[in-house]
Amino acid sequence: MSSTSQKHKDFVAEPMGEKSVMALAGIGEVLGRRLEEKGFDKAYVVLGQFLVLKKDEELFREWLKDTCGANTKQQGDCYSCLREWCDSFL
Amino acid sequence: MAQFHEDPALLTKEKLKSELLANNVPLPSADSKKDVYVQLYLKNLTVLNKKNTSAPAPDTFSSDEEMTAPLLSGRSRSGKKATRKTDRVRPVENDISGLTDEELKGQLMKYGVLSGPIVASTRKVYEKKLQQLLEQPPLESSLPEPETTIPEALTIKAGGNQNGNTHSAEEQYSDKEEEVGPVPEPVPVVSKPVRSRGKTPVTVRTSSRQRTKQQVEETATDTEETVDGGDILKEIFPNEPATPTGITVTCRKPIRGAAGRPVKPLSLWSEESLQQQNTYTVTKSSVTDVRSATPAARPRPRRWFAFWLKLLVFIALAASLYYAFQYVTTDQINACQLYVQDNVITPIANYIRWETPAEGGDDK
Repeated sequence: MSSTSQKHKDFVAEPMGEKSVMALAGIGEVLGRRLEEKGFDKAYVVLGQFLVLKKDEELFREWLKDTCGANTKQQGDCYSCLREWCDSFL
Repeated sequence: MAQFHEDPALLTKEKLKSELLANNVPLPSADSKKDVYVQLYLKNLTVLNKKNTSAPAPDTFSSDEEMTAPLLSGRSRSGKKATRKTDRVRPVENDISGLTDEELKGQLMKYGVLSGPIVASTRKVYEKKLQQLLEQPPLESSLPEPETTIPEALTIKAGGNQNGNTHSAEEQYSDKEEEVGPVPEPVPVVSKPVRSRGKTPVTVRTSSRQRTKQQVEETATDTEETVDGGDILKEIFPNEPATPTGITVTCRKPIRGAAGRPVKPLSLWSEESLQQQNTYTVTKSSVTDVRSATPAARPRPRRWFAFWLKLLVFIALAASLYYAFQYVTTDQINACQLYVQDNVITPIANYIRWETPAEGGDDK
């Protein structure tokens, strides 16, 4: 049984293009809005941050927590979503 | 203490490590650059060389605030550029946000942290990281170990909290592979009985026919498949004991007596094998009777039975060919040809004539 959500699968299945930040796994409405307020309005901007942090899990989680207040599960979901996307498309 | 080197950059990394260890200096993380060791060496050992005291230089990072003052005063006496550099940086460590981006990066480098670009968005995270590193230097060496061991214990957790989430992810993938492996194995098992469950006698025959076909024609590949399957299975299930068939569940053996199947499938077997053999004999146009050779009672070793059957057929063919080459004269061949011609060609010719009465017969 896979432990990834449908959102994760949908995101990882194709290039993200202009998808909103709420398309990321683990990022819902509330977190998405907070990220947008900080300027991370598209998924690719969060991807940019992920890459600037050299895809480091700890740092990215920390950043996510600081920026939008994501809990551990949400951090993990977002991280694994982006990482898998990078593995496929980057 | 002993005489320490003036310029530790001359030493090799290993030497630096051993020297640091010998003087109880906590080492940075495993794959640090030599520069890190050089800095540590300079800080801790060259200073000792100058001061020639047994000051607890190794405790620099943990008791930073306390040690900075006397160390500073001590160091200001020294004329070393390297120590001056560290001299400048060390008090600034207390105020991390006062560091410039380069300084912050340098500080992180000392702890063996290969940081990415320190930009506006990443700065905060790196400051936090440095803070953590400053607060927990004695745990530096021990931290990586539990981190690496824990993910191995976490087999199938989705949001692993540890840094080794990569491992759990990899294990997720490997889990998927493991699942994919056995899935095709039971599928053939399920599919065949399912087929027969729908319509009992017909499908049973077809499945058994498939089996016979596969086994008569491809016993060689059969063994190969089992061997290959065994290798793959050994990869997937390393703990499983090796069985003659490779796994305890084989895809070719249907459940006897279930779903309306006969308990003794051999009655069907012998019929099918007879048909197969008859086709063989007819195609070769020899008149050997192989029916008697078909075995009647071989309940358990089906594969062995198939092999024996195949061997018999082969022997029969070889015998017939030998017979043909040795004993049959040309007259007999001609007679045979005429016979075949009469019995086979003429009906065809008649049929054609019947179809197209205008045309003449098509005699060969």
